Amino acid sequence: MKAGLEVHQQLATGKLFCACPAELSETVTRTVTRRLRATGGENHAIDAAAAFQASRNLTYEYEATPTSCLVELDEEPPHALDPEALDVALTMALLLDARPLDEVEVMRKIVVDGSNTSGFQRTALVAVDGTLEVDGKTYSIPTICLEEDAARKVGESKEGIRYRLDRLGIPLVEIATGPEIASGPEARAVAEELGILLRATGRVRRGIGTIREDVNVSTEGGARVELKGVQDLRRIHQYVDGEVERQKLLLATAATLRARGARVPTDAPVEVSHLLRGVASGPLGDALRTGGVVVGIGLPGFGGLLAPPGTARERLGRELADYARATGLRGLFHSDEAPSHGIEGEVVPALRAALGASLSEDAFVLVGAPEAARAHRALAAVRQRATDSLRGVPEETRDPMPDGRTRYSRPLPGRDRMYPETDVPPIPVSPERIRTLRARLPPHPREVRARLVAAHRLSDETVRTLQRSGEVERFDWLTGRGHAAPLVAQLLSREIVATGDETEPFEFPVGLLDEILTAVESGDFAKEGLGRVLAALAEGSPTVADAVARSGLQTMSRAELDRLASSLVAKNAPLIAAKGSGAFSPLMGDLMREVRGRRDGQEVAAVLRDALAKQATTGAA
Amino acid sequence: MSDSAPVDPWDRARTLAMGTVVRVTTDDGREWRGAVVPPHELSGERILQLKLATGYNVGLRLAPTDTLEVLEAAPPIGNGSTAPVARSASPGSEPWLALLTTGGTIASRVDYRTGGVRPVQGESEILSFYPDLDRDGPVRVVPVFDRLSEEIGPPDWEEMARRTVAVLAEGASGVVIAHGTDTLAYTSAALSFLLEDLPGPVVIVGAQRSPDRPSSDGFTNLSAAVRLARHPELAEVVVVMHEGLSDDRFAIHRGTRVRKMHSSRRDAFRSRNGPPIGWIEGTTVHLVHPFRARSKGPARFSGPMGTGAMILWFHPGLEPSRAEAFVSGARGVVIAGTGLGNLALTHLPWIQRAISRGTTLAMTTQCLEGVADPYVYATGRELARAGVLYLGDMLPETAYTKLLWALGRSTDPKIVGELLLAPRAGEVEPRHEAEDHL
Repeated sequence: MKAGLEVHQQLATGKLFCACPAELSETVTRTVTRRLRATGGENHAIDAAAAFQASRNLTYEYEATPTSCLVELDEEPPHALDPEALDVALTMALLLDARPLDEVEVMRKIVVDGSNTSGFQRTALVAVDGTLEVDGKTYSIPTICLEEDAARKVGESKEGIRYRLDRLGIPLVEIATGPEIASGPEARAVAEELGILLRATGRVRRGIGTIREDVNVSTEGGARVELKGVQDLRRIHQYVDGEVERQKLLLATAATLRARGARVPTDAPVEVSHLLRGVASGPLGDALRTGGVVVGIGLPGFGGLLAPPGTARERLGRELADYARATGLRGLFHSDEAPSHGIEGEVVPALRAALGASLSEDAFVLVGAPEAARAHRALAAVRQRATDSLRGVPEETRDPMPDGRTRYSRPLPGRDRMYPETDVPPIPVSPERIRTLRARLPPHPREVRARLVAAHRLSDETVRTLQRSGEVERFDWLTGRGHAAPLVAQLLSREIVATGDETEPFEFPVGLLDEILTAVESGDFAKEGLGRVLAALAEGSPTVADAVARSGLQTMSRAELDRLASSLVAKNAPLIAAKGSGAFSPLMGDLMREVRGRRDGQEVAAVLRDALAKQATTGAA
Repeated sequence: MSDSAPVDPWDRARTLAMGTVVRVTTDDGREWRGAVVPPHELSGERILQLKLATGYNVGLRLAPTDTLEVLEAAPPIGNGSTAPVARSASPGSEPWLALLTTGGTIASRVDYRTGGVRPVQGESEILSFYPDLDRDGPVRVVPVFDRLSEEIGPPDWEEMARRTVAVLAEGASGVVIAHGTDTLAYTSAALSFLLEDLPGPVVIVGAQRSPDRPSSDGFTNLSAAVRLARHPELAEVVVVMHEGLSDDRFAIHRGTRVRKMHSSRRDAFRSRNGPPIGWIEGTTVHLVHPFRARSKGPARFSGPMGTGAMILWFHPGLEPSRAEAFVSGARGVVIAGTGLGNLALTHLPWIQRAISRGTTLAMTTQCLEGVADPYVYATGRELARAGVLYLGDMLPETAYTKLLWALGRSTDPKIVGELLLAPRAGEVEPRHEAEDHL
C-alpha cells in the first residue's frame, strides 16, 4: 500500500480574492440559481471529470450571506490575491524546508459540481520539494498550494444542489505529501504533525471543518484513488484500510471475470417496463408507478460476482450502483439481488431472455427512471464501470461515508482542468520577501516540543496534544505564573477540550484558567473536579467559587473523609475477608464516587489503605 | 543538447514555441520539467512559465547559470481538441435564424498570452462554444466583424443594419446579434433608428463572462435570445440579457430604452424610465407590454448615419470656454444636463452662438432616470428660449444615436430638430409609473 495525504487548512486571514471576512454565517440575504457548463481550457480539451459533472445538468442554488460579496457570486472580477494569505503559505513552505516559486501563477481548476459559482477553483502552486519528519521517518512534501475554499453544501434535491457562499473564497493552504505513508496510524500521525505546523503560523482557523484531508491511496496492481474530504483524522486508517480491502476484492473479481471470459456488450439497452409493471417494488416499482420506465442491460459472465455471498461491504454491484447514482438516479437493481423487490419467480427468466443474460453465469442490471434518456445515461455509466471492472480498479475520486466506507463521486480530474486565471496578475516572490519571512519564522514545533519536554518533564505525547490544540502559548503563560506543569497540561490538553459543544467549544479566557488553577492549588477543590467546575463555568457560573459550590465540590474535611472510609470498610467486611488486598480497587471506586473532586485522589487512596490496615488489625485482634 | 559555449538559457527560452517540453536545472540543483506556456504580460523579468504535469503553471526566474534542455518539440497547434463542434445550420425549408457575430465577450475567449480575452476566430469556434444553438431549428452564423464593443462606431452600426436587412431579405425569420456589452445599448438604439419595416425580431445579446468560463452568462443569454428571435409576432430591435443574478430569467429590453448599469454583474442591463417589454423564463416568452409587431417587409435600411455629433456631460466647474472648444465644429450636441436638464447660465452665450451657427443642441438629463423639462426652472426656460431642444426622458446615449441618424437625413438644422423630436422607435415614453424607479 502507498498513500499520500493532502491537508487543506483554512486560514484566519481575509478571503483570498475579495475583501470579505473569512467567516461562516447563518444569515441568508439572497438566493440565486445558476447553471454551469464544461468548457475547454488552454488547449480546448474538456476534462473528463468536468464533462461528467456538466452532463448531470443540475441547477445550483447559492445562498449569499453578509460574509460574501459580488466576487463570490461571480458578479465582480476577483481582487488581487491576499498578500497575508500568501505570507502564511510561504511561512509553511519555509517550515517544511520547501522551495518557494519565483513567481506564483494563479490557476483555474475546473470544478463544475457547483461548489464554485465561477465553475472553477482558483489555486496557485506556492512551493515545492519540502520535507516533513514524523517519528523518525522523513516524508516528502512535493507541493504546497494556496487556494480558495469552495462553497458550503447545505442541501440537495433531485434538481440540484444548494450551496452557501460564506465559505467560498476562504484561503486554504494545501499541503501534499508523497505516496510514502504505509499505514493508517502513520497517515494520522503525518496529518497531525502538519496540523501542528499549520497552528504554529498562528494564522489558521479553528473548529470543525477548518482542516480537511484528502487521502490518495494506491495499491499494488490497483489504481490511485482520491478520498475527498476525510474530516475525522482518527478515521484515516479506517478509510485507507477499507480502500485496500476494496481494491483487493476488485482485483480478485477482475481475475475471475477474465477467467470466465466475461464481457460488456454494446447492444442498445432494452426497456422491460411491461415485464415489471405491477410486479416490481422498491425504486423500480416507484419509477413505473410515476409514469417512468425500467430499462436494462445484460452482463454476460458477471453472474454471482455482483454480490457474492459473504461480501456484505464491498462488492461490484455496489460500485455499479454508485455510478448509476452519480448520474442522478436512485441506484439500480442487479440479478444477484433476486429474489427481492418483487423480482422473483417467472419474471426472472423472462428478464434474462429479454436482456441476453440467459446463462446462470450471466447477470443483468435494471434501472428505473422518469424517462428513457436518463435511464440510458445511467446504464452508459454502468457499462463504463463494468468495462473497468474487467481490468481491475478505475482511478476515481471517492467520498468518505460516515460508516467508514467510501463511495464513488466522480472520475479523477486530470491536467486538462487547469488553466490560468487571467483576471489575477502573477505574483512575484522576491528573495527579500522570503528573507523577511524567514527572519519572522515562528519557532519550529519540533524545537518547542524539545523545550517543553526538557523544561517540564512532560511526555512527548502530552506536548503534542498541547500543540495540536494550539495551547502552547497559554501553557507557557500559566506555567510562568507558577502553576504546576502537569496540572496546566491536563487542564489545557484534556479538560477544556472536553467542555461544551463539539461544534462550539466554550472559550475560557486565560485569566479564568489562572483562577481555576489557583483554586485547585489552594485546596478549594481537588483536580479531579476540574471537569465539573469547567462545565459549571461554561453553563454560566459567574465565578470560580460559585462553580465549585454549584458542583458540590467544596472540599470535604479530612475528618469526614476518614469517617467515610471507615464506615465503608466496616460495611464491606465480608468482601475484605474474602478478597484481601483485592478488595482495594472496588472500594476505592465506591469511595471516589462520593468524594471525587472534593479531596485529592492520592490522599483518598492513602486514607482507604489506612482504614483497611486498621480493619485488618482489629479483625485479627 | 550540448552547446560549446555557455548560452544564457533565457535567450533560448524566449525562442521556444508554446508547448515545447523542457527540463530546466536551476543552480540550486532542482530539476523542473514542463511545457512552455506563454508568460502573462504582467510577468516579471526573466520569468519562464512552465505547465507542470499536474496542470499547475509555475514561474521560474531563469538565472544565467541555469541550464535548459528541450525534451519534446511543441505539438502542432489545435492538437488534442475534444471540444464538441456543432454543425453550421444549412437553411432549408424550415424557418431559420441568422446569428450575426460582431465580437465582444460573448464571442471571446481567454488569450493566454496577454491574459485578457480575445475575440473567437470565425464560425466554427463560436459553434464550439454554443453547440446547442440550433436545437430548435437552423441558425446560420454570419460573422460581421470581430471587435470588442468599445471599438465599435457609427459605420459599424450601419454595417450591422445592412447585414440585418440582407439576411432578412434572404428569408431569415429573425436575427440575433452577438455583441460586446460595453456599447451594446448604443448599438441597439442606433439599429432601432436605422431599421424600418422589420418582418421579424432583431435581438441583440451579449455576455458579461466569456464562454470559456463554465459560469458564462453567454450560454443562457444566447439561448434566450434565440428563443425570442423565433417569436411569431415581435418585430423590433430588443436587447436580451439576464434579468437578475440567476440563470433562469431574461429581460427583453426595448433597444432605445436600455442601459448598461453595472460594469460586471450579469444583470447589468436595465430598461430605464419604464419596465422591460417582457421576460423569457424557461421556454416561455412573456411579452407583457406593447411591442412593435411584424411588418410585411421587406426590411429597409434607413441610414446612413450622419457625422459630427457628440455628448457633453455638464459638471460643476466646467468652464464655458472649454465646453465651447470641445463642441466646436460639431453639427449636433446632446447635453447631459443636471436634474431636469440644467447647466450653469454662464454657458448660455456659447450655446446661443452655436445654435446661431446651425448646430443642433438637445437636452437630456444626466440623472439615470426621469425627464428633462425646460419649464420648471428659469434656467431651463432660458435654454429653451435659446433653442435647446428638450428631449423628455430620452437617454443621452439614445439621443446621441438619434441625432446622428437625423444628421444623416438632413443638413437643415430645422429638419434635424424635427426628426429628433418626433417619436420613432419607442425612445420617448410619455407615461411613468411609480414602480418604474430602479
